[in-house]
Amino acid sequence: MKMKLILIIMEATKPVMKSAAYGVIAAMLLLAAAQPAQAANYAARIQFRHGHFEPQRLTVPARQPLTLRVVNQSRRAIEFESFKLNRERVVAPGRTITLYLPALEPGRYDFYDDFHQEVPAGEIVAQ
Amino acid sequence: MSLAAAAIPPSECRRVCVALALMLGLLAAAPGLRSARAQVDPFEFEVYPYRTVGEGVAELEWLNSYVPWGHQHGEIGTSAGTLPSNQMLRTSGELTYGLTDHVEAAGYLNLARPNAGGVQYGGAKFHLRGNLFEQGELPVDIGWYVELESWPTPGIDTDPLELELKPILEKDIGRWSFILNPIFEKPVFTGPDRNRGFEFGYANGVYYRWMPRISPGLEFYGGSGFIDGFLPVQTQQHYIFAVLWGELPWGGVEYNCGPGVGLTHGSDHVITKCNLEIERFVGALL
Repeated sequence: MKMKLILIIMEATKPVMKSAAYGVIAAMLLLAAAQPAQAANYAARIQFRHGHFEPQRLTVPARQPLTLRVVNQSRRAIEFESFKLNRERVVAPGRTITLYLPALEPGRYDFYDDFHQEVPAGEIVAQ
Repeated sequence: MSLAAAAIPPSECRRVCVALALMLGLLAAAPGLRSARAQVDPFEFEVYPYRTVGEGVAELEWLNSYVPWGHQHGEIGTSAGTLPSNQMLRTSGELTYGLTDHVEAAGYLNLARPNAGGVQYGGAKFHLRGNLFEQGELPVDIGWYVELESWPTPGIDTDPLELELKPILEKDIGRWSFILNPIFEKPVFTGPDRNRGFEFGYANGVYYRWMPRISPGLEFYGGSGFIDGFLPVQTQQHYIFAVLWGELPWGGVEYNCGPGVGLTHGSDHVITKCNLEIERFVGALL
């Protein structure tokens, strides 16, 4: 009787269990993909104060991953954005954000405050 | 930043809990409704990237689609209701707010205008979307998305209440971005299908960053039916959209528009989409 009940429950929950199994497989695949990025990043820092970025031109080594900290020392929120780098992050007043950038090919990559178009754009020069 | 340091801090957890409680409250308050097979969501032809709107940012989005060449009967193609998809115009207003730098909440209002008919209320949706790590911190950026969908108008959709879950995977290679949104959706609480498990669908995109004002992309949308019994291929829906996207030269309005074609008999033949969005910093509300 007990076995029959278990079989009925198993049959009734079969579709749900099957979906759950797919979910577990998907989660495992995601975890497998989520390996830490390489650690040997070049570290740099940009701060925003007095209405502009400092430094306005940041030179970094080419073909080396970059960890970029953006510090907002102003009293207004900014949006640090770079189309070429595909980055767009709000930085609240007094806050610091960290951006992880892949190894850059030699070249110039502009960035700007998308909330305030009057702010002079800066650039990252990879060489 | 270490992986451990990237975990959500307690203050963010609190805000996420508030938003989750709101969604659960909406679920609990929803009336008892019947269930049917869900399809591609024609009110939202959008591929979600890893990046969420920032904390304190409000984003208003206007999602539009029109079916110039669809089906003459309901419950086929993008029609999930009794009204035919042919010449159906759908529009959806979406308001998104960044609860934290890693979690956003959004609400939608859907309207539809069928061929030779007036505007009808299509339903409402609510979603939470987030991520745990900074973009580029992992080899593949992985985010999450939870959505509750209410479809009270049988002419628009006979599936009254659905829960949608989707992981978000994004990988940038040079100027290219590859985004996958596998979709797992199920009717909840009522109806004969409520215990059948999840339906599978997808919204994927490949984008090339050419110029800020205009860039090309390809988007792929589809639905295959329930995971425990996929539909025959010809009755599934699969679409390819060629899109142009970028930022208009005035007002910071971003767009993503283009035509799409159906690849199977179960798909509408031609669909056009045009999404517009604008964002403003409004400050932290929670």
